[in-house]
Amino acid sequence: MTQTSVPTTTAAARAVRLTKTYGKGATEVHALRGVDLEIRRGAFTAIMGPSGSGKSTLMHCLAGLDRPTSGEVSVAGQPLENFNDDQLTIFRRENVGFVFQAFNLLPMLTAGQNIQLPLELAGKRVTDETRARAQMIADTLGIGQRLGHKPSELSGGQQQRVAIARALVTQPAILFADEPTGNLDSETSAEVLDHLRRSVRELGQTVVMVTHEASAAAYADEIVTVKDGRIEGVTR
Amino acid sequence: MRTVLFASLRTYARRYAAAVVAVIAAVALIVVTNALTTATKAGLFAGIDAPFQNAVGAVDFPSEEVTEKYTEQGGWPIAASMQSVRSETKLLGQEIMVGAVSTEKRWQWQDLEEGRFPTAAGESVVDANAAKTNEVGIGDTLKVGTGESAVETTVVGLVDAPAMWSSPIYVTLPEMQGWEDQYVQTVMTATTGDEADGWLNTDDYLTELQTQLNKEVNVVAYMVLIFAFIALFVSVLVITNTFSILFAQRMRDFALLRAMGATKRQVLRSVRREALALGLLASLMGLAVGALLGWGIVALVRQLAETAPLGAVSFEWPWLVGAFVLGVLTTLVASWLPTRRLMRLSPLAALRPQEGFDVRGAGMFRIGLGVAVILAGVATIFVAVGWDDAQIGMLIVLLGCAVTFLGVMLLGPVLVPGLVRLAGSALATVAGSPAKLAAANAGRNPKRTAATAASLLVGVTLTTGVLTGMNTIRSATLDEMAAQHPIDLALQAESKPLEDSVLDDAKSVPGVDDAVAVPGAMASVEAGGKPVPVPVVAPPGGDIALRDLSVKPGTMVISPVAASAFVEDSFEASGEKVTLVVGDRSATVTLDVREIDGAPQISAATLRTLTEDPQTYAVWVRAEAGADPEDLAGTLGALAPDAELINGKGQRAWVELQLDVFTWAVIGLLAISVLIALAGIANTLGLSVLERGREHALLRALGLTKRQLRRTLAAEAVLLSAVAALVGTALGVFFAWGGSEILVGDIMPDATFKLPVLQLVGVVVAAGLAGLVSCVAPSKRATKVSPAEGLALD
Repeated sequence: MTQTSVPTTTAAARAVRLTKTYGKGATEVHALRGVDLEIRRGAFTAIMGPSGSGKSTLMHCLAGLDRPTSGEVSVAGQPLENFNDDQLTIFRRENVGFVFQAFNLLPMLTAGQNIQLPLELAGKRVTDETRARAQMIADTLGIGQRLGHKPSELSGGQQQRVAIARALVTQPAILFADEPTGNLDSETSAEVLDHLRRSVRELGQTVVMVTHEASAAAYADEIVTVKDGRIEGVTR
Repeated sequence: MRTVLFASLRTYARRYAAAVVAVIAAVALIVVTNALTTATKAGLFAGIDAPFQNAVGAVDFPSEEVTEKYTEQGGWPIAASMQSVRSETKLLGQEIMVGAVSTEKRWQWQDLEEGRFPTAAGESVVDANAAKTNEVGIGDTLKVGTGESAVETTVVGLVDAPAMWSSPIYVTLPEMQGWEDQYVQTVMTATTGDEADGWLNTDDYLTELQTQLNKEVNVVAYMVLIFAFIALFVSVLVITNTFSILFAQRMRDFALLRAMGATKRQVLRSVRREALALGLLASLMGLAVGALLGWGIVALVRQLAETAPLGAVSFEWPWLVGAFVLGVLTTLVASWLPTRRLMRLSPLAALRPQEGFDVRGAGMFRIGLGVAVILAGVATIFVAVGWDDAQIGMLIVLLGCAVTFLGVMLLGPVLVPGLVRLAGSALATVAGSPAKLAAANAGRNPKRTAATAASLLVGVTLTTGVLTGMNTIRSATLDEMAAQHPIDLALQAESKPLEDSVLDDAKSVPGVDDAVAVPGAMASVEAGGKPVPVPVVAPPGGDIALRDLSVKPGTMVISPVAASAFVEDSFEASGEKVTLVVGDRSATVTLDVREIDGAPQISAATLRTLTEDPQTYAVWVRAEAGADPEDLAGTLGALAPDAELINGKGQRAWVELQLDVFTWAVIGLLAISVLIALAGIANTLGLSVLERGREHALLRALGLTKRQLRRTLAAEAVLLSAVAALVGTALGVFFAWGGSEILVGDIMPDATFKLPVLQLVGVVVAAGLAGLVSCVAPSKRATKVSPAEGLALD
């Protein structure tokens, strides 16, 4: 059940006949076995599946963190396979945001510095405008008062909210969240997921979340189920 | 636990690279020193008994009377003198050691290679090697010495001689006795001698001589050992740091072992055995590397310089065992502190997520202690500077330097990251976010950063200290040399005036900038009722000499050697009046005795009262800046074969060369410690890269390009090494200032403290560049990991 019928103009990301194989010969592992997928713009998509299903590999390929063995990926209308490493890096910097399960923040930088980091890496001058935007996002996420603290001085939920703020600050075409609540208790998880959903509703942000928890997937508009390297189904 | 030990060694072998390199370098340095020592001794001792085949005994450094006594009884002196030697066409050298050869068969101890031994005065033998390089052959006539004591001699044979007793040329004894500065090292006796003269029988004498030589060579070896100990000290810092980082990374493994039932003691023992194994292995490799290097260096030197007195390399057990034990001990001592930290480890640590590492900086106690120790050290240096006795003052300065350095090391965890942050924010304005990230990274584990910097600090402090100290000594010495030898080159007539053509000939010699004829006369001074001939010159004005040499009227500037011809105590003769006589005229002058080159100098006015018709008694030459003084001397010497050639430029160049060779030898030996420290920096960075795999992946995911990541790591290495270099330079200069203040006050009153600015800048730049080189491998490894792989790292 693929979504090829949907016009590409509305797709934030698109994968065609995607395969990814690790190792060779006897140790060969097929993480993805021909995946076709479109991520709808302005929607909250959850990629669900048990561990080892290939959902993380799918996300890595969609986000330009890893290269597929075969198949095509395009993000924001741009095919990724022709990019070299530097071009891919800059593309990620400009179009993709990330929130990971853990080790999301650089320990030696403050929360505020972490949020500004993608702008700095792009060599952009920190203007009043960007600072105001960062502050607005931080305030929206309820961490406006904690920007001067180092990650080690923040709670797990606060750390994840800083990570979300950092992902949003560049206004990426698509935001990937890899098990963003994996390390959190249920109450904090709910808060973080709520923030992600609000960024979709209020800011029009496209969000793709990889998770193995059905309760987390329930926040999404669409749920893509992955098993053994194949897409098993898409629910809306 | 043995399984764990071997598995750990296998797994982490590569991460110990810097520790192994450090131990190998220090151990190898000791072994190489031993190889060079034994080769030198073998070279010196080879054939040391050759002259003594027919001697019953010998007296070392005999007085003139003793030499005479035993020579009359059929003995033979091993005598030598430094003289200038000319062939028919050129000056072969100004200060060539001339030995004595016997006309009697039993004292002809040299090995004849070609021709025959002399049978009478006027014949000589030449060392076969020296003959080859100077293109001298049998039948050539050589002029040895200058002035009236010069002798003409015909080469009748080529000889070879053991290094200990060899000279390039040997003349017969009667000719040698005309020279003032000949000295007798040993007189061999044909019969039993008096113990009162210090006579020993041949066997005892040779044993005694070897013991003496042994001691002298050993003194040099022990000096070199100081540098081995510096290298070992730096190794301790590098190894301690390596273990600290590795153990921090393996904390979870250790905790897991504890959770599975290993006792604290078991874990500790396993880790200490790991260190022991590492020390044993690295020390063994150090022995092998040192042995190979030792052999290689000696073989190379013998290949390049056939006459170098190097014999076969052998290794002495005490040195090898000592080097090995020191290497192992260094490793064990260095691992002691980091392993002790494991005792605090609880089994529960394995079950908690890794919380990072011991990132605490220095506590208040440490900061306070550091500041107090630095203040004490600085105060000690200032006390020493004011000390009266230079030797004790020097010792106090050394103590003050050591204490100050200790204080800086204590304060390191605050000082180094602080300075790195400062330098980083300066760099960030040019290099952007990589520099900012790098500065933040350097500040995240203050103790590790400080320890890494400390290892480089040792080498840089010592290097800049030596450079600065030597620069002060050097400029003072060179000033003194310039004052003593203000004329580049001079031809000085000894008995009759120079021919008029000499001046023009000299001017046309390539490399001669300008030359001037110096007017003078042959005067005489009455001493002990007899007139003593003294050539005098009146220095001309102009800029031919480095300084104005004009003499006050009524004064005669004279060297102690020249003055000794007519005064009792030439060194105390300043102020005495003597009367110079030329024909029927005379002038009374006041003596000013000091070390000058050439004939006594008087004023032009005094010369005019002595003679109406002054003649050229000297030609002074100013050489072009780049001209080789020895080449010039060779050509100029041939212009006036009877004149004495004075080579002031050559003497200055020689002293300069000596100072430079000494300085660079010390720097070269210190470089070993600096290299060890750089290996340490590379290792720290490499291990940090492993630790930060996930962070780098995150940064890459967020849009840091490979090049930016490389730049971040490069900036971290450069910041660290540059800060260490700057702090080290500041310390080195301060220490050198303390040392030279004492020298200035006592030993070298003319010395002023001088900064070798260019060299110091060179050290800092070199350290920065070396830091850049040290990050090549780690940053290659860091950029090899793709972001997706990095994120999957634990």
